[in-house]
Amino acid sequence: MLSLDMQFQRGNFNLEANFALDNPVTGLFGASGSGKSTLLSLIAGLTNPNKGWLKLSDKILFHSAKKINIAPDKRNIGVVFQDNQLFPHLPVNKNLLYGYKRIKKKQRRFGMQEIVDLLEIEHLLKKRPYQLSGGEKQRISLGRTLLASPRFLLLDEPLAALDQSLKEQILSFLKRVKDELEIPMIYISHSMDEILHLTDQLVVINNGHIIGTGHFMDVLGENGTQDFTSMMGLENIFRATIISNDLASGLTIANLFGNRIFLPLSKKYVIGKQSYISVRSSEIAIAKQHIEHISIQNQIKGKIFHFIPNDTGITVYIDIGGPLIVNITRKAFVDLELRENDEVHCLIKVQSFSCFGKILDR
Amino acid sequence: MFELTPEEYSAMMLSLKVSTWSVIIILVPGIFTGWLLARRNFIGKSILDGILHLPLVLPPVVTGYLLLLLLGRQGFIGHWLYETFDITLAFSWRGAVIATALMSFPLMVRSIRLSISAIEIKMEQAARSLGANAFNTFFTITLPLAAPGIITGCILAFARSLGEFGATITFVGNIEGETRTLPLAIYTYIQIPDGTESAQRLLVISVILAFSALLFSGLIERRAAHWIGSK
Repeated sequence: MLSLDMQFQRGNFNLEANFALDNPVTGLFGASGSGKSTLLSLIAGLTNPNKGWLKLSDKILFHSAKKINIAPDKRNIGVVFQDNQLFPHLPVNKNLLYGYKRIKKKQRRFGMQEIVDLLEIEHLLKKRPYQLSGGEKQRISLGRTLLASPRFLLLDEPLAALDQSLKEQILSFLKRVKDELEIPMIYISHSMDEILHLTDQLVVINNGHIIGTGHFMDVLGENGTQDFTSMMGLENIFRATIISNDLASGLTIANLFGNRIFLPLSKKYVIGKQSYISVRSSEIAIAKQHIEHISIQNQIKGKIFHFIPNDTGITVYIDIGGPLIVNITRKAFVDLELRENDEVHCLIKVQSFSCFGKILDR
Repeated sequence: MFELTPEEYSAMMLSLKVSTWSVIIILVPGIFTGWLLARRNFIGKSILDGILHLPLVLPPVVTGYLLLLLLGRQGFIGHWLYETFDITLAFSWRGAVIATALMSFPLMVRSIRLSISAIEIKMEQAARSLGANAFNTFFTITLPLAAPGIITGCILAFARSLGEFGATITFVGNIEGETRTLPLAIYTYIQIPDGTESAQRLLVISVILAFSALLFSGLIERRAAHWIGSK
């Protein structure tokens, strides 16, 4: 569907990207300043790469050797920006129709009413952008892009400027767009949680280089991504099966590699289904025996199978039915006299777990 | 006291005519240059910027003299204009328009450039990605959003034109009814023994015109800001 091989250089920043996408939604994941937005800009034609090529379906949009460079307005690639970029001098309905009236009737895939209904924005049409809230602006911005009938959609951190409740609202609209309109899209974010609401297929970018593509469990588990995952706090991502929600104690009970664990209570979990959960390696403590009288709810028994000293301490790999990565200080490591094959208990506070919502049914 | 003599009246009207025309002829080049400096990087940009600002820092008399050398009937361009189109700029009100236009151009460009720079490039990129070509984007997004700055630029240029003295008197002289604008008329009346009253009347007119321009510009700016939705 979308394939590319491009190089871009500006000043000290170097970006090299080479991948092909075939998923309905792909998450472009990376830290701030990793080149996510630049890559988007290159795909949309808003910035020109130094060399390379870009293809959407069979249409070449950019090819440096063949001197092909389709203008952004002819690419049919829709962009939704982080800060919505509504045109302040136009009322909402004219914002929505800006792209719509610029495409040929035959190429229009959606009608105004269809999009208005989908995004529930009927009551906003006569307003001006400055009268809208952040979430409303982002819905209009999304609607405006959709009405231009893009063949591909680029969403550049569309939720970054919104607070949590609005994020979830917009995410549900994005899911509708994905499910009902069938436009392939790239969703850019530095939040794994957001991405996993829409897809588990990732392109991971770090310092201008693509360090992995594919299912996120595979990508983030690959060799060579440790620095990246620890930077993003994603060293430990697991699939846990949700057993029950215990409203009285405020916990969700789940099964992780055969261990019973306690997670923060959340509506996101579906009983009986698997959910992605993560815990930072530095948020885990190690004890040599089970500890009584402690507030920490999770004490998972495991066996040390490997350890690597690093700049800040020791990375300990513990087998709890699957690998758990734990970071402790050198002093703690020495004091506890830890060795390979030692049996230990991993102490994890309930609140240290983040959950990524239910696994997408595919 | 406030009956203007025909001479005074004609000086006022001439000033308004010259200023209006000078704003009209620099408007489009001003927008283009403002956009060029705000949005494009090219070799010689700082040189162009410098040349544009020259009239602000050169003594106006020098600018006027340069104009005379270039556009006077013996001048390089002036001679050609006269031979080809039978147009004479020196010592005519059209020349006064050229002189005031040149003097107020930097002010206009500066204001437009600032207002275009203030528009987020992403706003224009959004328009491009929605299917508007570069021209279309300029006219439907950039220009409307820069409107307050363009209006301010026009008023500034107009006010500057009303006050233009040095370049005008050097290039087109001080001919009553043709090139004697308000400042030139005031200067002339001060020079003659019984001109004090006339000079003072024109002084009042000048203050009123300048002040109205400022008030008007404030009003339009607020309107425009409301119109583009920032307030």
